[in-house]
Amino acid sequence: MFRKSLNLGVATLGLAMMLGGPAHAEETFKLGFLGGLTGYLAPYDQPSLDGLTFGVDEINKAGGLQGKYKIELVSRDMRSETAESAVIAQELAGAGVNFLVVPCDVDPAVAAGQISAAAGIPTMSSCASTPTLPGIVGEYMFSNYTADNLQAAALGDYAMKQGYKNAFVMLSKDTPYTQKLPEYFVEVFKKKGGSIAGIIEYKMGQQDFAAEVTKIKGLSPAPDVIMTSAYEPDFPAFIKALRAAGITTPVLGSDGIDSPTTLALGDVAEGVVFTNAGFATEGSALAKFFADYKAAKGKEPETLYVATGYDIVKVLDAAVGASQGKLDGKSLRDAVDGLENVAVATGTMTYKGMNRVPLRTVALNKVTGGARALVELVTPAAADVPAAQ
Amino acid sequence: MSFGSTLSRAIAVDAVPGAALLAGLVALPCLVIALTGSGALVLTATNFLVMLIAVLGISLFSGNSGIISFGNVAFMAIGAQVSATLTLPPAIKTANLPLLPVFLQSIQLDFWSATAAALIVVIIVALASGLALVRMSPTSASIATLGLLIIVNSIIVGAQGFTRGSQAMYGVPKLVGLPMAVGLAVVAIIATRLYRDSVTGIRLRAGRDNDAAARACGIDVPAERLRAWVAGAILSGLAGAMFAHMLTVFSAKSFYFDLTFSIIAMMVVGGMASVTGAVSGAVVITVLIEILRRLENGFSLGGLQVPQIFGLTQVGLSVAILVILYGGQTGLLGFREIDSFLPKSWRRQRALPAAASAQARADDGGDVLSVQKLTKSYGGLVAVSDVSLSVRRGEIVGLIGPNGSGKTTLLGCIAGTHAATSGDIRIGTLSLNGLAPHAIARLGIGRTFQTVRLFANMTVLENVTAALADAERGSGLDALAGRAMDLLAEMGIAELSGHIAGTLAYGQQRRVEIARAVAVSPAFLLLDEPTAGMNDVETGVILATLKRLVAERNIGLLIVDHDMKLIMSLCDRIVVLNKGALIAEGSPDEIQGNKNVQEAYLGRRHARLAGNQA
Repeated sequence: MFRKSLNLGVATLGLAMMLGGPAHAEETFKLGFLGGLTGYLAPYDQPSLDGLTFGVDEINKAGGLQGKYKIELVSRDMRSETAESAVIAQELAGAGVNFLVVPCDVDPAVAAGQISAAAGIPTMSSCASTPTLPGIVGEYMFSNYTADNLQAAALGDYAMKQGYKNAFVMLSKDTPYTQKLPEYFVEVFKKKGGSIAGIIEYKMGQQDFAAEVTKIKGLSPAPDVIMTSAYEPDFPAFIKALRAAGITTPVLGSDGIDSPTTLALGDVAEGVVFTNAGFATEGSALAKFFADYKAAKGKEPETLYVATGYDIVKVLDAAVGASQGKLDGKSLRDAVDGLENVAVATGTMTYKGMNRVPLRTVALNKVTGGARALVELVTPAAADVPAAQ
Repeated sequence: MSFGSTLSRAIAVDAVPGAALLAGLVALPCLVIALTGSGALVLTATNFLVMLIAVLGISLFSGNSGIISFGNVAFMAIGAQVSATLTLPPAIKTANLPLLPVFLQSIQLDFWSATAAALIVVIIVALASGLALVRMSPTSASIATLGLLIIVNSIIVGAQGFTRGSQAMYGVPKLVGLPMAVGLAVVAIIATRLYRDSVTGIRLRAGRDNDAAARACGIDVPAERLRAWVAGAILSGLAGAMFAHMLTVFSAKSFYFDLTFSIIAMMVVGGMASVTGAVSGAVVITVLIEILRRLENGFSLGGLQVPQIFGLTQVGLSVAILVILYGGQTGLLGFREIDSFLPKSWRRQRALPAAASAQARADDGGDVLSVQKLTKSYGGLVAVSDVSLSVRRGEIVGLIGPNGSGKTTLLGCIAGTHAATSGDIRIGTLSLNGLAPHAIARLGIGRTFQTVRLFANMTVLENVTAALADAERGSGLDALAGRAMDLLAEMGIAELSGHIAGTLAYGQQRRVEIARAVAVSPAFLLLDEPTAGMNDVETGVILATLKRLVAERNIGLLIVDHDMKLIMSLCDRIVVLNKGALIAEGSPDEIQGNKNVQEAYLGRRHARLAGNQA
């Protein structure tokens, strides 16, 4: 009997939840967020939501977007499941959101985006870095995070400026990130006159990089630089094996290795240069964001996804300004698509002429004494960014 | 023959009402949602039905064979990959799948044709993988299915150009909606349910409950497993094709461990061994998620405001699964189907036969089972050494000897479960050497085991039907069940037909096992301690039954027992083994007076004493 009545109670509770939704006043901007707050997307979508929420609270205190439109944030967990992503997108579209933020991975972002785009709701992935995503879904879909081809352009520029002529590239076809980012790098580097000493494939999680290192050691002439977008646990295993073999060739990486693990590697990682979405120099917007966040929450954000999540609110603020207060899907979409040099926490963002993949500030970091040191902050020229494919 | 009777021969008629009810219980609410539900609810219901078909795909194989498959999601991947390749608009294909042959790049099929093509590929892969897999032990087979999943995933990732590699396959047309999903789910439920109670389903379940006993009943367990593996793969492939055309986007990682574990969780929660269990698992988990994910967003309870708590769904779901499995280790339903909840008057009752009728199978095979110079050694240990013996039809031969003298090993060699090291076993002139146990059973050798080996989770009727099925190939299920009832009546246990075999008293189990051995229509029957652990009354009943079987069916009986009273009163002839070798053969009287036998049983000194006293 106990079990039966418990079930009944839960069911009634569930029913009550389905029926009663909060009422919302006019002049609010309803912002939907659906992300993987549990499951494999949690390390990305959780901090994105954290930053977004922080931004929403901050702007609401100042009266709302453009001082007028308070944001009502509706956030939902899609448990890192593509099918659930579509269901929740449909629910949020039905709830009348003005703008929808979708997960950091392509599959669920596409599944959600197709539904929200069909409903005419501008949609943005909080941190998917695959530059083809907006093209897949269409006119209403935007990216937010530093795209793979953008990081590759920054790395290619940097390699040329260092005078590297001959690059060796290691990639894995296991994920688009580990495959396409190095491929974009190859494209940029060749276009700028560099040559590729070789491309080698690895299997994610393979642990032993002896074969790859032997191949690199056998190259003649030796490459000037090694580029890869490998990350944990592959990158640490690779760099240890590489340095243990006595190869001192400089190594370039991407934001996948922007983690405490890399910094804790000690001597083997010393001098590794990698890109990420921003660096908090003194007096910069990012430094201010970190300070504000710390003042409010008592600690600095643990990843940059918090800052890039926050950036979305800044983009929305600029878009509502550009649409002159029109909150309908078409007006908002057009407004975002035309934004130029919006000041955000991580630098600046430009959507105009970028096919809905923003041109962003990219930070080049160098591992120095177990910490990140800024090499430079760059915004690659739009023409240098390889076409998304 | 009319169509109706042909159909009733092919399918399990008794299971039809339950199957229809189960399908109806799933379909009706979904149809109501299709007509009146919100967009999100329609999507939820469609997801549920696709997952349900995926669960049924695994359940069809795993539930009936007892081998948990981690590999069915590989068939989903193939179903999705191949069908989507065929339905994708050519413009997207040329851009995204550049290595595809031109004719594949230029065609665009509808959902049904594309899915049919995908299922052909699925069947080929299922046959190729199944041929190896069904011969393994259940544990190894399980691990092998995991290997299949990894291999198929790696091939799809590696075949970039033909596939999208690890990238998302997008632009798939949305061709699957709720009404179609309802229709396909109904078909899948009914097919899976009828399969379970079909002749081939019963045979496979017999193999699940007791592999050795099933083979001794003439059941080719690997062949039955292969059928179910392919059938389950077809359902999984269908679910994969539906998945792709419902979400319109997928990638290699969509069909990997996460999905596998979600599907297996649904199956295990409901009860792996029944179709009703698989369906209820999918329903319970879906409903739980729908309730929990709403609670997760915060609610007020009697003035108390509970805030949004992300993760509540996952945690709640895991706790629910733990509670359910703690409550019953075989899931919500265990081995039960929905039929067992129906009022008895709804279920068809099999009439008890008025009188037992002996119908001995006229066998044109040889009249003598002969063993010539049989030796079985394990490394240096010789268990059976150079033994020759013969059993005529209609004759009862006792096989006795001290513990460890090689009696059971000898029976195992005859039945084919042990491979003889050397020697010759024949029925008449027909050699049994090297044949598989099920083939030997089909040639007319039935057996029982030293410890009872019934198909414990099946009914008494199913136990006997499973064994009959191979003796009378081509008979419809209904006819087989009728014959099984007759046989049970003949053995005096017709009233037990509906009981689950594992729940019977020990003596009853022994009688069911003998009935099952008789069901293979044997010319010869090998009985290993048929009265062990029985009281005098029970032993008496068995004794009478065996005598009658031999007389009415002209069966040759080779019987191992330690009960000397039984052996002496039952047997025409007795063969004595000691330390693997034949030490005496003769009538009961001759054996009782044999010095060698007394020595073997009592030791030389005691035997001399006993001899002096006599």
